[in-house]
Amino acid sequence: DSDEGSEELVLTPLQLICSLEQAWLNEKFAPELLESKPEIIECVVEQLDHMEANLKRAKKGDLKVSVHRMEIERIRYVLSSYLRCRLVKIEKFFPHVLEKEKSRAKGEPSILSPEEFAFAKEYMANTETYLKNVALKHMPPNLQKVALLKSVPKPNLDSFVFLRVLKRQENILVEPETDEQREYTIDLEEGSQHLIRYKTIAPLVASGAVQLI
Amino acid sequence: GDLGPFNPGLPVEVPVWLAINLKQRQKCRLIPPEWMDVEKLEEIRDQERKEDTFTPMPSPYYMELTKLLLNYASDNIPRADEIRTLVKDTWDTRMAKLRLSADSFVRQQEAHAKLDNLTLMEINTIGTFLTQALDHMYKLRANLQPAASNDSQDF
Repeated sequence: DSDEGSEELVLTPLQLICSLEQAWLNEKFAPELLESKPEIIECVVEQLDHMEANLKRAKKGDLKVSVHRMEIERIRYVLSSYLRCRLVKIEKFFPHVLEKEKSRAKGEPSILSPEEFAFAKEYMANTETYLKNVALKHMPPNLQKVALLKSVPKPNLDSFVFLRVLKRQENILVEPETDEQREYTIDLEEGSQHLIRYKTIAPLVASGAVQLI
Repeated sequence: GDLGPFNPGLPVEVPVWLAINLKQRQKCRLIPPEWMDVEKLEEIRDQERKEDTFTPMPSPYYMELTKLLLNYASDNIPRADEIRTLVKDTWDTRMAKLRLSADSFVRQQEAHAKLDNLTLMEINTIGTFLTQALDHMYKLRANLQPAASNDSQDF
């Protein structure tokens, strides 16, 4: 599969919408902020603009126009929901998200788009200013700092998630819950559905081998 | 996606959202899926009641389709009321099984479950509750052990 990070990924509109829906569902059910997908977003926005332009021109029968309009609204809904879901997570985990982005290795994909990064930084700065003005500056001098990284809760990567397998995986390690249990491995058959801790399968979500549901 | 061609009098396959919309505007008649038939659904209901495990459903969206079609196009579906009852019976049986297995999952502190024959509607009906319950159990258990991690963070 062409996961080379190439910018010129040629997808049919149907495939594009499928990728958007996949990214949307994964983002909805994952406890942490996932990789940002600028290619998908850009292409979807382009597609929507294209469709809008077509609609402006075609003044034919009511049916075609209304059907296309409905389709545009549906796609727009998914896109907004996806972006909103990401913003919620950015606001919830802002110091960790920024820290992760700062300490990212060169080749690793970014979890924030440039706009999201600017938003996160601004959110952090605003929160710090707010805390300072409302409470901190009235505290005794040695208590005037708050360590946001320590105080803001981290995403719980141990939460359970439901998933469907898209590409067969072998020997996924399942860690024991209690001391009496032992760890064991399972194979994930294509098309099967599972309930398991997010931590174990996080890399599979990133690679597209499984879909959260 | 691609749709049509729309020729009067000839059946055409469209996405459900479009079908419902056109039906509401009284522009079409809907043809129910093959499995939405009293005999077939009786078989399915009986099979589900017999087995302890989940039997495969005729459609991964059987519940949603039944609800939508019976709400908006019941005039196009023969014996709609019986169908409604049959599907509800099957759903109730499956939900009862689901509640039992979710209960034992939490009780026995399982780490993994395979849910092949469950439809999305069933998973999402119980999903949020189940995952939150599991999270709470995890937090309670983690607090029993001495703090292993250096961050004393709450999730």
